[in-house]
Amino acid sequence: MVKQIDLITLLERIEAETGCQCEVYQGITDEDALYIPVEDLGAVIGMLREDFGCYHLSGITAQQRESQPGEIELIYHFWHGKGLSLLLRLPADDPRVASLIATIPGADFYEREAAEMYGVTFTGREETPRLLLPDDWDQGPPFIRREESDG
Amino acid sequence: MDKISIPIGPHHPLLKEPLSMRIDIAGERVLGGTLRLGYVHRGIEKMATQRTYVQDVHLIERICGICSHVHTTTFCLAVEKLLGIEVPPRGQYIRAMMCELERVHSHLLWLGILAKHVGLETVFMHAWHDRELALDIMEGVSGGRVSHAANQIGGVRFDLSPEQVAMIKENVEKLKAQVSGVLDVIENEPALRARTQGVAPVSADLIRDYCVVGPVARASGIDVDLRRDDPWPPYDQLDVNVITRPEGDAWARTLIRALETRESLRLCEILLSQMPVGPVTVRAPRKVPEGEVVTRSEAPRGEVLYYLRSDGSDKPARLKVRTPTLAVLSLLPEQLSKIHVADIPVVLAGIDLCIACADR
Repeated sequence: MVKQIDLITLLERIEAETGCQCEVYQGITDEDALYIPVEDLGAVIGMLREDFGCYHLSGITAQQRESQPGEIELIYHFWHGKGLSLLLRLPADDPRVASLIATIPGADFYEREAAEMYGVTFTGREETPRLLLPDDWDQGPPFIRREESDG
Repeated sequence: MDKISIPIGPHHPLLKEPLSMRIDIAGERVLGGTLRLGYVHRGIEKMATQRTYVQDVHLIERICGICSHVHTTTFCLAVEKLLGIEVPPRGQYIRAMMCELERVHSHLLWLGILAKHVGLETVFMHAWHDRELALDIMEGVSGGRVSHAANQIGGVRFDLSPEQVAMIKENVEKLKAQVSGVLDVIENEPALRARTQGVAPVSADLIRDYCVVGPVARASGIDVDLRRDDPWPPYDQLDVNVITRPEGDAWARTLIRALETRESLRLCEILLSQMPVGPVTVRAPRKVPEGEVVTRSEAPRGEVLYYLRSDGSDKPARLKVRTPTLAVLSLLPEQLSKIHVADIPVVLAGIDLCIACADR
């Protein structure tokens, strides 16, 4: 069995240990979610693993909200008996975030998918080789919304 | 000894689905490998945003040819959560029964493949013969052997008649007897043990680091099963026995799946005996209110995750599907290191790949 984490305790610990300001996001139904500063991702995840025993990264969702076309959003879906989502906002013109594969090797495929579908650069890893798209695909990240596209 | 790099695939000698691997060997030892997916990438996540929720149920059924039902279930659960509607109890029970039958057929299919690749043709024949009993049930109630189209938003599409319930009970009874025979072979057959015991053991720490899910994780002692640990109804009313093994080797992965088959049959019987009466579905509106939701289910291969964001229209704004194979596949290069060339099929078969799922 996996132990449950209380969101308030988690917020207090994150602030005390990393000093970063998180913002609770209540948009995801029945799920704890936090917007965290991009540069603090590694510190928060390290703390989640070491202090709370929250190891399981279920996946990474990348998306571009219609209301925020200038941003790419990454959602790191963790699970510890219930879901915990960490959300990051990256600028759409140069989405860049530190890679997690040194701490969580299982994040490899999820990062590669976000890289090829949304053009996110994961720093601190050698490269993000193609995972799903054909080798000769030359039209850029297919999920990025363009002005002339009908969606 | 010099390192040699061998490309295998995408048209594969072992699997029916395309996967390209590059395996580095030195003599008989495997040093490691890399993977390339995408040969059956259909862009389903993107397609889903261009279709209505009703159409998406049918699209999502096509993500996988084996665990199609759990995909539509997880998607429908997400949409229903945003809509704020609840599936009637009888509909929930039929959904869960189909999930368990799907696990039975998926595990038996897999057992057959493993048996064939370790040279036990008889077990292959038995497992695939027995699997037909599960498929007969699903075809009998839904009309489809592997694409059942059982789910719709708000419930399931069919009810069970007393004759169908009798047929299910009869087939489940037969399956139970057959599965105990298969279990006996797995536990006692020296040839199978020799080919699988101690092969490519994976530690619990490695499973955690790679975020591996499902039977592969449970074979390394990770005691997690979403049917018990994060259940949707009616699993919250069932007492699911989670089966784990400490060994972490190919044999444990085999035994786990056989034991889970037996457990699924037990759950099927409970679901049938406790099935409430009443409607199986409720009407759902076409447009889904603005919102986001994450749902998870225990598919035959482990946790499947759906993230859905609605903008208030009749089409999803974003749908993300994380299939269990993608989580388990990341461990493959690690598993392929330090084994013998002859064990490659056992390791590959042992993780129960579903490339269509991983590629989407």
